[in-house]
Amino acid sequence: MAGSFNFGEWISARSVIGSTLYEIGKENDKLFVCTPDVGMSLIEFKEAFPDRYVDVGIAEQDCIGVAAGLALEGNIPVVMGMLPFLSMRACEQVRTAVAYQNLPVRIIGTGGGLTSGGGSTHNAMEDLAILKSMVNMTVLSIGDPNMIRDILKLSMDYEGPMYIRLAQGKKDRQLYEPGTKEFSIGGSVTAREGKDITIIAHGEMVGESLDVAEEAAKDGIDVRVIDMYTIKPFDEAAVKKAVDETGKIIVWEDHLMSGGLASSIADYFVDNDIRPEKFKRFGIPQVYAGFGDGEAQRKKYGYAAKDILAAVKEMCK
Amino acid sequence: MADKKEVQRLTDIAYEMRTKLIDLCGAYEGSVHIGGDLSMTDLLVGLFHHGLNLDPDDFKNPERDRFILSKGHGAVCMYIAMCLRGFFDYDEIVRTYGQLDSAFGMHPCKVHLPMLECSSGSLGQGLPMAVGMAISAKQKKQGHRVVCMMGDGETCEGSIWEAALTASSYKLGNLVGIIDRNKQMMCSHLDEDLIFQDPYADKWKAFGWNVIEIDGHDMNAIVDALDNLPPASSYRPTAIVAHTIKGKGVSFMERQVGWHAGKLNEEDYKAARESLAKNYGKEG
Repeated sequence: MAGSFNFGEWISARSVIGSTLYEIGKENDKLFVCTPDVGMSLIEFKEAFPDRYVDVGIAEQDCIGVAAGLALEGNIPVVMGMLPFLSMRACEQVRTAVAYQNLPVRIIGTGGGLTSGGGSTHNAMEDLAILKSMVNMTVLSIGDPNMIRDILKLSMDYEGPMYIRLAQGKKDRQLYEPGTKEFSIGGSVTAREGKDITIIAHGEMVGESLDVAEEAAKDGIDVRVIDMYTIKPFDEAAVKKAVDETGKIIVWEDHLMSGGLASSIADYFVDNDIRPEKFKRFGIPQVYAGFGDGEAQRKKYGYAAKDILAAVKEMCK
Repeated sequence: MADKKEVQRLTDIAYEMRTKLIDLCGAYEGSVHIGGDLSMTDLLVGLFHHGLNLDPDDFKNPERDRFILSKGHGAVCMYIAMCLRGFFDYDEIVRTYGQLDSAFGMHPCKVHLPMLECSSGSLGQGLPMAVGMAISAKQKKQGHRVVCMMGDGETCEGSIWEAALTASSYKLGNLVGIIDRNKQMMCSHLDEDLIFQDPYADKWKAFGWNVIEIDGHDMNAIVDALDNLPPASSYRPTAIVAHTIKGKGVSFMERQVGWHAGKLNEEDYKAARESLAKNYGKEG
């Protein structure tokens, strides 16, 4: 929270969502909050604005449809839930009721990548591929918990539907002191300047990329880290600049290796005949992962910090 | 009891609607969902020409009643009901239906037709949207109703029942679901091949809805049901289970699975118009 910022300290992204929605709700009576029984952080909003709080129970398809109906009446519904179910169980409602009608429904939740700890049923590892493919949909993946506050506030005036991905949301690492970075929907943040190689990351991987950069600096390698928190449309200018200035690019994400941000960036390179000196991606291979925390699984599946550090060193030889 | 003159006026509109449906079906090169269109014709006449508070010249009025066609494949029927109410030009519908850049296609699209409340066609999605609209109306203390037309086949979709629970939980007395209960789907008869829906009205009752069962082709009953809905400020959503006949009005189409959707050649077209005239006592 503002005032208690310590770089690297962990706070709950879910609680930031809850307090931010309450703040917005006081000023903007168009805001509705909908959830399929994932309301533990929404109690403040629920108690203050019971007639703008809709919990449909464990029914994601219904929840997205209800949100679409609220949006058709000129409201701005934020749907808070678990991402695997919002992105897959309710996939068609998101595509047809929300994206096709281009409604300002904001879908936000936790469970991005292999961070849920609940096993493959609860991992949203395909979500970006699914949501990116929907016409009209804006897709974000946020690592810094304080950024959520700014993005949610900005989203109130943003046209069209939006999907906001978080990791597990219980303990998220603070990266930027509130008020020190300007965020925009469609933007990115250069979290660390560097001239030898660029790591482009989103979500929880941004903080880890900064650790990798510190380690690489010990070997004299100057790593740039781009926090690409908007996945669609992503900040092409920042990528082009990184190619021009550092030549070598790594994309690191907690998502299937194909279909996520890395795929979007590869498409961008192909479509625009941009040829980085070296390009490598890290993410989830074609597996349904088991249990364990995110870091343990990243180690198992070859996309942990040590793997990225090794690649940085190899690419900068 | 419904006013006799009003019922006659609506019956005349229903005949005109059916002739226009057959005309469009005859003119269009592709297939039209004629069976289900004919089964809900009387209900849509009752709604668009009697029950719903709508004004084609002021279609964004916040006090208007909202209508959602959850069985979106019946778009043509809605277009024609609306065109006879002054929303659209029938000739434009016939001239452009299903063509590139037409606003009038197989499933309703709000992007092209802003006077619609929503786009629809993917079955099971209309009622959840209607619930959201009804919650919004209640929160804003608006007095209008939200009316959602579903097919009974469509109510095989689980999302309908999810929304049915939400509607009763949120005490949406301003929500009316109408079910076009023709007991047929694209390939099956619900009362022969798929009997799992019975007892049908009891299911809605069990989900906390106020249920009215009517003959969906009896204009008296339709008008009575619409005139005597519980007030929008009441606490239970209402389901009108309207027993209908797929293909109603064209004898050779009635209850025929083959006429779920179809195309009329010249001979069929002539026979359909003749059958319709005969069934309405309009021969010669």
